[in-house]
Amino acid sequence: MSETILEIKNLTKYYGKVKGVENLSLSLNKGEIFGFIGPNGAGKSTTIRSVMNLINKDSGEVLFHGKELTRDDVEAKSRIGYLPSEVFLYDDLTVKGIFDHHESFYRNVKSAAGIREKRQDLVSRLKLDETRPIEDLSLGNLKKVGIVLALMHNPELIIMDEPTSGLDPIMQNVFYEILREERDRGNTVFYSTHILNEVSKVCDRVGIIRNGELIRAGQVDEISDKQLTFVTVSSDEVDALVTELGVKVLSREEDTVRFANHFPDDELIKRLSKFTIRKILIEEATLEEMFMHYYEEGQTDDKT
Amino acid sequence: MIKRELKVNLRSFLVWTGTMLVTLLLIYLVYPSIVSDGKGNKVNEMLEAFPPELLRAFNMDLAGLDTAYGWLKSEGFTFLYLIIGIYSCLLGSNIVLKEESEKTIEYLAALPITRRKVVCDKVIVSVIYIVSMIAILGAFNMLALNLTETPDNRQLLLLSITPLFPALVLFALGLFISTFTHKTKKMLGISIGMVFAMYILSVISEMGESVKGLKYLSAFTLANSRGVITSSELKPVYPIVSLVLFAALIVVSLVRYQKKELV
Repeated sequence: MSETILEIKNLTKYYGKVKGVENLSLSLNKGEIFGFIGPNGAGKSTTIRSVMNLINKDSGEVLFHGKELTRDDVEAKSRIGYLPSEVFLYDDLTVKGIFDHHESFYRNVKSAAGIREKRQDLVSRLKLDETRPIEDLSLGNLKKVGIVLALMHNPELIIMDEPTSGLDPIMQNVFYEILREERDRGNTVFYSTHILNEVSKVCDRVGIIRNGELIRAGQVDEISDKQLTFVTVSSDEVDALVTELGVKVLSREEDTVRFANHFPDDELIKRLSKFTIRKILIEEATLEEMFMHYYEEGQTDDKT
Repeated sequence: MIKRELKVNLRSFLVWTGTMLVTLLLIYLVYPSIVSDGKGNKVNEMLEAFPPELLRAFNMDLAGLDTAYGWLKSEGFTFLYLIIGIYSCLLGSNIVLKEESEKTIEYLAALPITRRKVVCDKVIVSVIYIVSMIAILGAFNMLALNLTETPDNRQLLLLSITPLFPALVLFALGLFISTFTHKTKKMLGISIGMVFAMYILSVISEMGESVKGLKYLSAFTLANSRGVITSSELKPVYPIVSLVLFAALIVVSLVRYQKKELV
């Protein structure tokens, strides 16, 4: 059984009467990239900021190696790397200045041995110019500096909130490669994003958050393999067919409907055989469609 | 952390201190011509026409304006208390809060350092700059006056220390109030307004028995320049009260900051 590095238990946070997250529980294992996905405002940043103790939890626990992660646990913090969704750094410094400043906090941290070498490696791979002032950096370069700061002290838990925003596609691939290397070294990545195709590219497991609640978590393959297909059927009995199947129609054009199907193929065919079908198309859902389906399904549930 | 904070706050320290030094220098340069040919006595005679309460409020009943030292003891120190007070209060209200306002707090909070250390290091740097400012201005006054006049150096030395007491309290008060907000912009008006309000209260409190109690609402009372001028002594109660208030405000600021939501 793999070792649990981070465990979030029943996390609840309200901003006044507005729900940030409610009763959210999840755990991250050693050496995995955990994708934390959800649309804007779903509660991803609230979860991350609660883990980082930037905001106060209403209830719940955040455990790092089984021990409550408190805001003043310096030892635990030295083993965590954090990249916020928007990187704000000291404008009066150069890139070199901020890296030197960062290094100064890890001089006596055993796990951060080799910080200089790692910094140089990341700087070279991300093609950063250390002489440039922070205030002159573009959004993408600022993000790259943030990535180096989150990784250079060799943290065993790396928390990243929308890490690729601002990075060009070439740099995104370099970044994915760096993350995979971190995972292969046994480090754990908590990867928050709303960009769905990133999940299939780098994540091992995924948690889907909607309206502050975790609606599903599992291996990326497991979620992809779930029997969700999209079916397009043309039939004169289309209304009766929809009623019989009890499915939600995604689109309709005269007597042709498209719906998301959870039935196994043989069960679907058995049910459809009761009707006269003129034309049928069964499509396997892509990972992106799968997530979209969960979001939309959830939104319908919320309205009802 | 301390090294970086010293560097970050150096420029504003130099601007504030430099501006005050230039102002004092200009006054000392032009003062001989203002008081030459008996004009100083005329100024003193003119002041006699003012109500004694008003003269008392600015220590003008204790020091004539016919010498530069006389001016420093009355109007000069009024100016120094006010400017050093504003500098200290603004420093207190900004030094921690700017991390939130400029959104660098997410980076800072992720570093292996406690919130208490963040605040304490910033307080240490602020105290270094406040003390340095007072020391530089005191040394400058001492030098300038000794070159032109023969001031009471013991009294001048004690007077030069007195801005420290209101400054420390105003700094800590600014820091404490800043724990209630996330934006430095809001604190600018609050800090300056608070210092001016306290200054006016301390002036009014000298104007009669019925308003004497107002002095307890003003940090400037802790300077007690009047007591130093009349006795050439520094009563221990003022530094002690200042340090107690300073320490108490720092402690409550630390408690509040510990629980504060930073984003």
